[in-house]
This record gives sequence, structure tokens and C-alpha cells, in this order.
Amino acid sequence: MGEYIVEVSGVSKGFPGVLALDNVNFNLKAGEVLALLGENGAGKSTLMKILSGIYEKDSGTIKVFGEEVHDMSPKKAQELGVAIIHQELNMCSHLTVAENIFLGREKTKSGILSDKEMEKQAKGILDKLNMDISPDTVVGDLAVSKQQMVEIAKALSTNAKILIMDEPTSALTSKEIDDLFRIIRQLKSEGCAIVYISHRLEELQHIVDRVTILRDGQYITSMDFGDTNLEEIIANMVGREIKEKFPRISCKKGKKIFEVKNLNAGKMVRDVSFELYEGEIVGIAGLMGAGRTETTRAIFGVDAKESGEIILDGKPITINKPMDAIRAGIVLAPEDRKKDGLCTKLSIRENIALPNLDIICDKLGIVNRKKEKVMTQKAVSDLRIKTPNTEINAGSLSGGNQQKVVVGKWLARNSRVVIFDEPTRGIDVAAKVEIYNLMNELKRQGIGVLFVSSEMPEVMGISDKIIVMCDGKVTGEMITEEATQDAILKYATSFEKKVAAEA
Amino acid sequence: MENRQNFLRRMMAVRGMGQVLTVTVGLIVLCIVFGILNPTFASSKNIGNLLRQIAPIILIGIGQSYVLITGNIDLSIGSVVGMSCMISATLMTKGLNPWAAVLVTIFCCLLVGVVNGQLVAKCKLPPFIATLGTMTIARGIAQIVNNNYNTDSIGDAAKGFRDFFYYGKTLGLYNTIWISIILWLIFNFLLSKTRTGRHIYAIGSNVEAAKLSGVGIVGTTTKAYIVSAFCASVVGLIICATSGMGTMDAGNMYEMYAVAASVIGGVSTLGGQGILLGTVIGAAIWGVLQNGLQFAGAPVAIRNIVIGIIVVVSVLLDVVVRTGKPRKAKKG
Repeated sequence: MGEYIVEVSGVSKGFPGVLALDNVNFNLKAGEVLALLGENGAGKSTLMKILSGIYEKDSGTIKVFGEEVHDMSPKKAQELGVAIIHQELNMCSHLTVAENIFLGREKTKSGILSDKEMEKQAKGILDKLNMDISPDTVVGDLAVSKQQMVEIAKALSTNAKILIMDEPTSALTSKEIDDLFRIIRQLKSEGCAIVYISHRLEELQHIVDRVTILRDGQYITSMDFGDTNLEEIIANMVGREIKEKFPRISCKKGKKIFEVKNLNAGKMVRDVSFELYEGEIVGIAGLMGAGRTETTRAIFGVDAKESGEIILDGKPITINKPMDAIRAGIVLAPEDRKKDGLCTKLSIRENIALPNLDIICDKLGIVNRKKEKVMTQKAVSDLRIKTPNTEINAGSLSGGNQQKVVVGKWLARNSRVVIFDEPTRGIDVAAKVEIYNLMNELKRQGIGVLFVSSEMPEVMGISDKIIVMCDGKVTGEMITEEATQDAILKYATSFEKKVAAEA
Repeated sequence: MENRQNFLRRMMAVRGMGQVLTVTVGLIVLCIVFGILNPTFASSKNIGNLLRQIAPIILIGIGQSYVLITGNIDLSIGSVVGMSCMISATLMTKGLNPWAAVLVTIFCCLLVGVVNGQLVAKCKLPPFIATLGTMTIARGIAQIVNNNYNTDSIGDAAKGFRDFFYYGKTLGLYNTIWISIILWLIFNFLLSKTRTGRHIYAIGSNVEAAKLSGVGIVGTTTKAYIVSAFCASVVGLIICATSGMGTMDAGNMYEMYAVAASVIGGVSTLGGQGILLGTVIGAAIWGVLQNGLQFAGAPVAIRNIVIGIIVVVSVLLDVVVRTGKPRKAKKG
């Protein structure tokens, strides 16, 4: 351990609407495992994507092995010995393990693929990693965890000197994690530098030498892992005062409106239960991939449920498809407005009318323009949607106003429960406040509000009760007044222990 | 005996072979049914004709399969056949040496492939729209080269050309059949044994993963379209040799036949999947249906309807099988 082999200084990167990285510094030594930590959206993945040439930096310098690199590209990164294992699986599912490992670097003999040779080498790598996978298996036939291991094998096969692992363990079983850690230690002893990104803080003690913490796109600190503890790390990850003002109204808690009991749907929704009362906003907190969106989708009937009960106003209801939910009065404002929430090329009027055509059409199925107009005008004025008229394309509105249209189309019906999934993502502060006001207004009217958010201050600022999810399960529930950011983060990272503590 | 078993095992190890075998069973059943319905179906004369009928479909099917495996589609094939037929015939009637005419023709057709590849991979147009455009353009070129008329006979000077592509026989088999066998061997080799072939599968399977692995998307996609245009140009030459003249609507509907041969043979319209052996079987099913239904007295319209239904069902099966698989988990 000694010299820095990667030196990143003053790197910034902006995306439309957000500054993902703001003047960030980052260093890496040969033969160390560095944990890059931070909350959702802290900029970890963005930084690593810049280092591996997938994104271009806006400013700052990157030095690899002491030399400044100006035009980083995936190919250039590979030549320099930088390999990244992506958070999302990036495999060609129709090709075999060996074919995927050597994709883009196929071995040929006078133009003909040397499949035997590649399979042999792939076998060598897989054996070294103690992976029981045959190199001629088609990747699509493998379990997700095995695919993840293949991805790791692929990265190693490039003889990487700098290996970036973005949430490598999220899909692995405990035995595979043990194997991975063994491999990491082995690589470390061979002088390979490893950047390890994980939300599973309890894993760190097994492998990590140093931690670097980012928060809201800014570099916070780097520490030797031995000199610190989890409490200090969490404090640095959270570390901010809640500066923003959240409009809060207090309502009397009324009767129970909505209850989910032991809901199971796929891997990401395991035994989820919670209750929702009149005059109450319930926030669901958690990290990326905790199963929050999946929970809302299962409730709304987008994804199939395996088991569980949904009770509305004391009566159990069956929801097999979104229409069932809508009829019952449960509506969803989805996470991705442009993709799932709005028909961006249709007008505001058409968007608001879309789920309500049953109300505004006459018996022959002809749209009653008058009713449609009244409904739209009411939604626009109630929600204060800023628009010259109701005929302009929904896609041309600002993010906040788009969100209001999404909500508006549901409020025209007499909904009982409104579920928001990341309602304020990508919209400016003023628009956020309007969305908060809107939620408060619903709360005042006695409508149950459930909202998923990755921004902790927002969850704490606006909800009355907080449910924390991790790994598809509800790991914590608390009254907001008693909640602290540290407590939420602790619940949000309380993964089932996959790794037995070492002696 | 053991050798034979080894061979079988090796064959079954080839990806997609299972599907091809299933379709082959269908082909055999069809042949038996038509053979029983009409004994002349199985006569050696009819089989020779049938093979000669199937050969061009195999060729355009190879081209379409290349493009389908990249996850795209080439609708310009039929028009390129027409273009090839008209350009070659016009040049020959103008007195150009037939072999020189062949080279010029193939070159012109390859340009269409290059344009297709660039439009789809570089300009990122939807392949359906891009090749619909080049389809119309290529048909227009076919019409314009001889001032909107079919050509006169390409004459005696072109006898060697006509024999080479259609009338001649080598070792008892029509040359047309030999051409498609040889081109099939070449393109099957390129697709299964070379780097470009591997990249074609990778792009169709997961274009993002291919890109991150350093695969050149634009270049590889363009190569697939060039193969498609090349195959279509050869079929155009075969048609020209057959009729001895250039016809402007030669190759009409061939893009459809090419898709039919590919998808019946198990090439996925969603990309990444399929082998050229399947395309041969698919083309054979197409040919046997055409030929057998004709023998059974079914009019062209009925044949079109039957083949159309089979194509739709094949694609439906493919889509159901593919989307029935568990999707990637969403994040939240």
C-alpha cells in the first residue's frame, strides 16, 4: 500500500435539473479495498461511471497511475485496467457464459473464433473464483445470483488493476458472498485496488480498508476503516440539518381507512403489513431496491400478488388489475411521470379525462365534451396547475405541474387512498412545496396518503408515520416525532445477516 | 455407433437446435400429407422443381435472419431483388458483358444495405420505418433504370449468365440450388464462427451490454444489412436469369417471404436468437406449402392466407415464449 493509483480532483457532473457531483475528490491506493458510501443520490454511481468512461465529466481532473486522462471512454478505461461491475446486470442473455466473458475481446485464430480456447480460459477464471458454473451454459438460463458472478468473472478476465463493484452482493446468496469476499481478499493481495459500493454496511468489516463518503454530490470525508465505526459512518452519510421548510398541518387522526396485511409479491415484497388512518400521511422510506415501488405496484394491481389481504374501509377487497384498484378508490401516481404517469403527447384535458372516461362518456361511449371541460377546469384550478390553457401537451409542462396533472386525473374521482411514488423527484423546490401542500390538502379531506420517497428530510418533514423497508420487508415503523435520520438509516440497512461474523 | 451418438450430442448442443428439430418434424409431416394427397408431389421432377423454388427463399431468408438476429428488420429486401433484376437486365440489353453487369448490380445493391445500416444504427431510425423508406426508393430505382418499362430479352450473349444462375446443372443438381447451398455454407460459417457473427448475436441480445463490452454497434449492424442486400441482389440475378428479362415488380412480397422463412425456422424477431439451419427449414416449409397447396388446387389467395397465418402464429409463439420469462426486477 502506498501511492495513489487513482486521483480524482474537483470533478463535477451535472444532469438536467441536478448537479450530481459537485467538485468531488477521490483517491485510491493499490492493494486496498475502498468502500464508497453515501445515501441514495449521493453521486456514488455517477462518480464510478465517470471513472470507467461511461459518463463524461464536466470539469475536474482524473489521474490514473499518475497520468492525467482527458478522454475517458469505456475502451480507454479497459486499456488502463479499470473494470466496473454494474449494479444492473449487463449480460447478453442468449449467449453462453464464455461468450459473455469474452464479448468484445473474442479470441480468434485466422479469423475463426477459438471457442474451445475461450471456454478453457473462462473455466480457468471461474475455477479460480470457485464458481460452479459451466462456461457453455447460456447466461439466460442461470439464476440472477449466478449471472452476477459471471459479471464479476467478466470484469476479472480483463486483468483489471482497478475494480469497481457497484452493489455486487445485492443478488448473491450468503455462500456466494463468502466466495466474493475471498476473491476480493485474493485480488487485494495481488495488488488490485477495489472500489466497493454497498448499502450493506455490516458487510464492510469483512473486507474494507478505507471508506470515502459522499453526500448530495459532495465529497465529505475519507477515513481508515479501523479508526472509525458504523455510527460515525452513518452520521457522516446523513450529516445534514433539515434546512428546507416543510408545510405541516395537523389533523385529528380519524378511523382506519386502509390496511395491508402480509402482502407477498415476488422477491421484493415479503410479508408487508401496514395501516393507514384518516388524516394521516404515511411515508415509506428505504434505499434503492428496498422494494418500495414494488409494494405500491402490487397494491395497485400492476404486478401479481402471491398472498396477502387488502382492506379498505373495513372491507377486504380484491385487486387483480389497476382497474380494480381505481374502482375501489385506490390510485397511484407512479415513480416515473413521463413513462408511467402521463401521456406526454396528449393535452392536459385528455390526460385528466383518460381514467375517468367512464364518468364523462354517455351511454353510447361518446365523450361528453362539456363534462370533460368542467372536470378539467376544476382540476386545473383546484391544483393550481400553471398553464395558459388545458389544450397544451402535458409533456411541455414543468415537472411540478406534470405531477399535478398526474394527481389531478385521480382526484376527479372520489378516491379514498392516494399513493405517491417519489412525487418530488426532479422538480424544483417551489414546486415541491406545492406538492406537499397538495398532500396536506388530501390529508385534510380525510383521504389516506401513502408516499414513497428516497429523500429522508422529506419523509420526516411531511409524513405523520414512517415505515422503513429493506430487502422487501418492513424493518421499522415509527411516529415521525420520534424518528431520527440515524434510526431510519439503521432500519433501511438492516439486511438479514448473510455473512456470519468472523472470529 | 458411439460416433453417431457423439455427433447427435454435439448437434443438440448447438443453441436453437431443439427448435429447428421441432420445425423439421412439421416439415416432414407436411411432406407426408401432401405426398398422400397427391402422389405426383413426391415425383423426382417435382422435388427438383421444389428445391429450385425454395433456393431463392433460402437466400433472402439468410439475409433477413442476419438482420433479425441483430434485433432489427429489413423490409427493403423485395425491392432490392427488383432493383437487382432490372439493373442487371438493363445493362445486359445495353450490351454490357453479363459478368460485368453482375458486378455492377451487386455493388449497387450493397449500397442499399449500407444506407439501411447507417439509418438504423447511426441515425437511430426505427428499422421498420427506415427500411420501409429504402424499400420504396429501391423499387423506384428498379422502375427508373429502364424508363419505367420492363426490359427486352437479355439475348443470347447472356446464355452463360442464364445457365450459371438458373438453367445449368452441376452434378445433377440445378445451379440455383448449388448457389444457395454454397452461400448458406459461407454465411453460416461467418455467423457462427467469426467475431462479427458473435457480435451480431450480442447486439440482438442486449445492445447496451454489447456496447459496454466494446462491440461496434454501427459497423456490425451495417454488416448485417449488407449481407441482407447481397442475398437479395443474388436472388434478383436468379430471377433475371430465369425469365431472361428484367421485370420491375420482381421480388414483390419477398421481404414477407424472407421474414416467413426466418421466423418459421425459429429466428426471433426480438433479436439474439436463431440459426441459419432453421431458416432453411423455414424456407422449405414455405416452399412445400406453396407447391403442395398448388397441387391440391388451392388458389394463390388461399396460399397467401395460409402462409400469413403461419407467420403470425410463429411470431406469436416467439413473443409469448420470450416475454413469459421473468423480467428483470425493477428498482424502488
